[in-house]
Amino acid sequence: MTRNGSALISIDGVNAHALKNAARKVATANRRHRAGVSTWGASGIFDELTFADSEAGVPSMRTLLLLYAADLAFRLRWEIGPALDEGRLVIAAPYVATPIALGQAAGLDAQWLADIFHFAPPASEHHVIDPAPAKPLSQRQGFVEFAWRHLDTRLSGLTRLELMDRTRHHLRASAQRSRSSGASR
Amino acid sequence: MRQIKQRGAQNPAVSFAVLAQPVPSPSFEQKLRRLARSHFEDRSRRRGLLVAFEGPDGSGKTTQRKLFKTWLKSDGYNVVTTKWNSSELIRPIIKSRKAIRVLSPLEFSLLHAADFRHRVENVVLPALWDGKLVIADRFLFTGLARDVARGLDFDQVLKLYQPLLWPDLVFYFSVSARTSRERIAATRTPTFYEAGQDITDIDEPTASYERFITRVIREYESLALIFRFITVDAEQSIHDQHQEIRRLFREGEQRPWSDWNLDAIVEWLAIRDAQA
Repeated sequence: MTRNGSALISIDGVNAHALKNAARKVATANRRHRAGVSTWGASGIFDELTFADSEAGVPSMRTLLLLYAADLAFRLRWEIGPALDEGRLVIAAPYVATPIALGQAAGLDAQWLADIFHFAPPASEHHVIDPAPAKPLSQRQGFVEFAWRHLDTRLSGLTRLELMDRTRHHLRASAQRSRSSGASR
Repeated sequence: MRQIKQRGAQNPAVSFAVLAQPVPSPSFEQKLRRLARSHFEDRSRRRGLLVAFEGPDGSGKTTQRKLFKTWLKSDGYNVVTTKWNSSELIRPIIKSRKAIRVLSPLEFSLLHAADFRHRVENVVLPALWDGKLVIADRFLFTGLARDVARGLDFDQVLKLYQPLLWPDLVFYFSVSARTSRERIAATRTPTFYEAGQDITDIDEPTASYERFITRVIREYESLALIFRFITVDAEQSIHDQHQEIRRLFREGEQRPWSDWNLDAIVEWLAIRDAQA
């Protein structure tokens, strides 16, 4: 918590349902801090991608993560930043660990991934939830599921399960690194 | 850091055995590197060339690009053109946000980098691989010059464009801020972002444009020195500029293939391979 009582808590993982539940639990437990949840896609970028002309092509993982970064910049400017300024508690679910793990799962350079999210302030608490991904036809998609289903099914050359497994593996590794270094992001 | 485990949500069927295998595997990557080198170093056929036209608005780039393209085609080149912010996938996203003026400099930068990457993967690299000559009407230097003029950090912006794809030749059309402003104002009012009104706090578009383009030109001039652009005096006549570009192109087109672009090409080859 900062001096004005604000705090940013990040929750990352591949299962959107589990992320939502975890965010709700944290919000309920912190009702007195007027906790709010910020989730991916707030800028509408991914809705527009979904409806893009099929002739326009699909983005590569690298392009997709640049778009996630743009969406996160939007969330920070319009949702997360203002709420923190008001002294509230914000739960970002997902935040930066999920896209970084997804990018690593697809073989992108970890340093590049860290660099494109350099603008995101570190969370005061970071949680990784590790249940398996939801069924592919889940109504409420997580970002990793979205990447797989709509955009990037072929580009990384992985099956859906492989991509999910790799992403979870990198999320666990990042959680372990953070635990051992005592870092908060 | 804490790890929250959802009771009963763990799927025991999920296997992590696949994790030991990186993507792409080192041997596969080495194979792609060899393939890229042999393809671009093969002197038995015309290799793909990338020529970028850079410079401020109103510097006459587009006029020169068209003349250059016509001349190249008459000389037997297979020419492909790509313009800044023109990816069919990302451009509509940028356009709708520009229309309602909601982009911050950071969002502006990230979205243009995404547009650029999509064009590199879908237009530029496929054409270069096929031995075509690609003319880029603005390239990543436009993103660098504009984003840094908007106050972003040069190194951070450059990272967004990695893996870097360097053009074989960069023609930089040099004009003063005043000439640029006069040429633009003679035909139209600059748009909100073109005029840099998101950062200048100047209400009058043309006045804002001159302030902003002064900063952009300063960045371009630094880039021209660092990256050794070929500077064309864009205050000359159209005919003189065109003749100079022809001459400079003839000198520059013989440059050998450079390994600088290997990372970008290998990544694209891996994507292409996965799609196949």
